[in-house]
Amino acid sequence: MSTTTKSGDTRPGIGAMAVRASPPLRDARISIRNLDFYYGANKALKGINLDFPAGQVTGMIGPSGCGKSTLLRVLNRMYDLYPGQRATGEVMMDGENIIAPGMDLNQLRSRIGMVFQKPTPFPMSIYDNIAFGVKLHETLNRAQMDERVEWSLTRAALWGEVKDRLTTSAMGLSGGQQQRLCIARTIAVRPEVILLDEPTSALDPISTLKIEELIDELKHDFTIAIVTHNMQQAARCADQVAFFYLGEMVEVAQAAQMFTAPKEKRTQEYITGRFG
Amino acid sequence: MTGASQTMQSSGPARDGKIADRLARKRRFQDHVVQGLCLFATAIGLAFLVLILATLLYLGMKGLSLGVFTTVTKPPGSNGGLLNAILGSLIQTGLGTAIGTPIGLLVGTYLAEYSAGSKLGDAVRFVSDVLLSAPSILIGLFVYTLLVTPFGGFSGWAGSVALAVIVIPIVVRTTEDMLRLIPVAMREAAVALGAPKWKSIVFICYRAARDGIATGVLLAIARIAGETAPLLFTSLGNLNWSVDLGKPMASLPVTIYQYAGSPFDDWVQLAWVAALLITFGVLALNVLARIVLRPRS
Repeated sequence: MSTTTKSGDTRPGIGAMAVRASPPLRDARISIRNLDFYYGANKALKGINLDFPAGQVTGMIGPSGCGKSTLLRVLNRMYDLYPGQRATGEVMMDGENIIAPGMDLNQLRSRIGMVFQKPTPFPMSIYDNIAFGVKLHETLNRAQMDERVEWSLTRAALWGEVKDRLTTSAMGLSGGQQQRLCIARTIAVRPEVILLDEPTSALDPISTLKIEELIDELKHDFTIAIVTHNMQQAARCADQVAFFYLGEMVEVAQAAQMFTAPKEKRTQEYITGRFG
Repeated sequence: MTGASQTMQSSGPARDGKIADRLARKRRFQDHVVQGLCLFATAIGLAFLVLILATLLYLGMKGLSLGVFTTVTKPPGSNGGLLNAILGSLIQTGLGTAIGTPIGLLVGTYLAEYSAGSKLGDAVRFVSDVLLSAPSILIGLFVYTLLVTPFGGFSGWAGSVALAVIVIPIVVRTTEDMLRLIPVAMREAAVALGAPKWKSIVFICYRAARDGIATGVLLAIARIAGETAPLLFTSLGNLNWSVDLGKPMASLPVTIYQYAGSPFDDWVQLAWVAALLITFGVLALNVLARIVLRPRS
């Protein structure tokens, strides 16, 4: 329906939200099939089926505790850090089930990067923050590393602000700068997929805007999954939106469709602010 | 007042101004009493500290001269110094720290990072905490049985090992505590980049906990620099010049122990100088560490 409007056009959605026209969805980079997830005996995700289209942004919305962050942490096997957490089902990427045992987790995590809710700069210089991740997977000489640091900081829209103080501590940056540094650090490893777990919820509106512009820019090269509590943000950033409720995925659709004509009553009620 | 209390009477019991005043006076009185007691206790504590430091400075400075640092201990009345004791203390404290710190660091890392939910971890933590408060003379006796008796004599090695045994639980405790203070988010961020666990510990967690761990090591050095009991049974003390770790070795605390109780005035004087040197050595180390570890912005 909305694919007929020119990209960049906006039209009023429900709840007076500006909704951008969504481009058609591409082929899946990651496919989730019949995924269940358990925290001990507690089933937190129930029978999830979801595709992440390549080179596009998938937004995940839903009230707190609905399982959207849990799903993100399945994709890079972060749950493996904690005994008692387990997933069953299929998460297919390049013909491999990435939640199967025997997966090289460090290599997987270099292909699927993650940015967290709170900025987490390491207690070292800006340069070393970026070099740390790169050195885990590649052997670069000094000039190549310099180049990679500049490239990733430029992609993260931070180069101009920090190029004269690369050797100073990353802890001295503002919150918004720290979060962009975390994004730079993630893309410096050159992943194929980037997971963003409420990346702007700890930031001020101007920093949020910068990160959203950045996401728009990055999706040309990376497949992106973003968890957000902010429906306007999902409408602005995402090509595809999935709504989660109580561990189930209620509905998934192109963003414009989701915010103008959701199929499910629960989706509509959540989007219009009747609960959550 | 009357107008206000009358309107309040309709909605509930009126506030009695006299009772409120009495209670307020009582509270103020209690406040003064407690504050007074706190100040009194602080004064007592500080008085002892100042007295000790003043006595130490007054009596120690009197005997301080270049000869103290350039001459070894000599028989009474022959103008001896403390050179062998100073050097012995430096060697044994340094070696004790060098042996104890890596062990303590690794045990603390095990407890904080790898022992979650394991019975072994709980047992190690318990034993380490017991060791932390064990009387140091016991540690001296232990090392005496372990290293002095079987190897045929007192030695600098035995002294250093005894001091290392004291260092270990202190470093274990602070390392574990400091590593546990590091936010989960920072570990997850390192792991999310594809870092194996040991790299996130060594390159991220140690760095984040650096100041705290270094403080623990400093506390341990300060503690062993003044320990006497464990050295009495191990390195014994040596009135002659010796830097051979296989032989008995002098140290400042043992020299204080031997000299302070002697009937010779010049030895008693040297004991005061030795006490002054230990105190200021530890103080200097603390100041130095604060400068080196100062957060860079």
